[in-house]
Amino acid sequence: MRRIILTAIIIFMPLIGLAYVSPGQPTGFVNDFANVLSAQDKQAIETKLQSLKQTTNAEVSVVTIPSIGDDETIETYTTKLFQEWGIGVKGKDNGLLILVAPNDKQARVEVGYGMEGNITDIQSGIIMRNVMIPAFKTGNYSKGISGAVDAVVAVITKSPEAARYLQDASANNSGNSSGSNLNLTPLFFIVIIFLNVFAKILGKTKSWWLGGAIGSIIGAIIGLIWGFIFVGIGSIVILTILGLIFDYFISKNPPKSGGHNGFFPMFFGGGNSRHGGFGGSGGFGGFGGGMSGGGGASGRW
Amino acid sequence: MKKTLIIIGVIAVITLFYGLTAYNSLVTMKESTSAQWQQVETQYQRRFDLIPNLVESVKGIMAQEQTVFTALADARTKYSGAQTVNDKAIAAGQVETSLGRLLAVIENYPELKSADTVQNLMTQLEGTENRVSVERQRFNDSVKAYEVAIKRFPRSIIASMFGFDDVNYFEAQSGAENALKVQF
Repeated sequence: MRRIILTAIIIFMPLIGLAYVSPGQPTGFVNDFANVLSAQDKQAIETKLQSLKQTTNAEVSVVTIPSIGDDETIETYTTKLFQEWGIGVKGKDNGLLILVAPNDKQARVEVGYGMEGNITDIQSGIIMRNVMIPAFKTGNYSKGISGAVDAVVAVITKSPEAARYLQDASANNSGNSSGSNLNLTPLFFIVIIFLNVFAKILGKTKSWWLGGAIGSIIGAIIGLIWGFIFVGIGSIVILTILGLIFDYFISKNPPKSGGHNGFFPMFFGGGNSRHGGFGGSGGFGGFGGGMSGGGGASGRW
Repeated sequence: MKKTLIIIGVIAVITLFYGLTAYNSLVTMKESTSAQWQQVETQYQRRFDLIPNLVESVKGIMAQEQTVFTALADARTKYSGAQTVNDKAIAAGQVETSLGRLLAVIENYPELKSADTVQNLMTQLEGTENRVSVERQRFNDSVKAYEVAIKRFPRSIIASMFGFDDVNYFEAQSGAENALKVQF
């Protein structure tokens, strides 16, 4: 009997999950799907949130949608959207989502795991009651949303302005840890060095099968570490083929010692490195994969 | 002859490799369900830490509502004494029910509802209830992934060989499916 119930749950669970309908992909920190913000306000808020990202690394997103649908509550919808977009930096979970559903007359501030110390439920509740709800009641969404963003930014940056929004706020006691983005440059160099070493070894042997063998061994190790059969088989196949191609190529054109060393010339065509592609531009490059666990506050008007 | 040996050897290596990866992934999944259950318990604990504060701040004015307080205190004691995951889930359900009753009663006292401390406590409780339901949902999701993994062929062979048994879903008590709603 229990088996039947379990099977039923397994079969029907995905259907329950289907009730959530994604509003789409984020195009910036501000996503006005319900069209309640003027272009000017939208741009102003976007700029504020971009500079917040640059100074504190925190990712705050504003989303308006016409309706959350019949099968979701404002809480479940916000958590699911938060998870889908991954607001905040992965591992730090320093994201925050302000969701407004004008047709349902509901709104929510959802705080990422890593921000729960910076913005307590009480604080988001006060921002909701004092800043957002009064403006939303009069239909002035721009005012309510801009005010909420100002308040949230003030609390996150611990500016003295915050007191203006949080008259009866309790002490804010957790330190803000701001750090840098995940930097891929070291990994890039490690890969280059590895390729370089392999090129030297494989270039000496005229055979071209050794690269394939090494590729499949590395693939098997990756599979074991990952602990997933498809990843294992996939990486074996791909790395074997790559290894064969690599060794074939390198055996035909063995790297010469001295002068241009090993594999470098192929990547750095005469020293023209193409760095600066990671971050720094200040634009929106997608969210970082952060998570939330239902913290924050909701409001209805 | 030599060819057969090579073929058998290759098959044996593939089978062993498959067994290893399957076993490892099952271990990972089982661990993630218990890690997720810890998340649920963390939120339960947070809820229990908040309850005395709420009770203290409303007790004076609600002196005639003793039964509500007694039920809540009993449920808390029961949770502290619970050892297994199942007992804890049941006791937590009782806490939820009596807490819901207390919040409903508070609605009848406008002077309480508008007090800053009560309002803040209610916001915190509401946040906690929502966290509980989020973490529970994620616990069920991780149990589902694990249950599918140990029941599907051919991983089910590995699962039964090494004794990966069922993990129970968290079944919400009647009336407790939704997080408590606090309206202002």
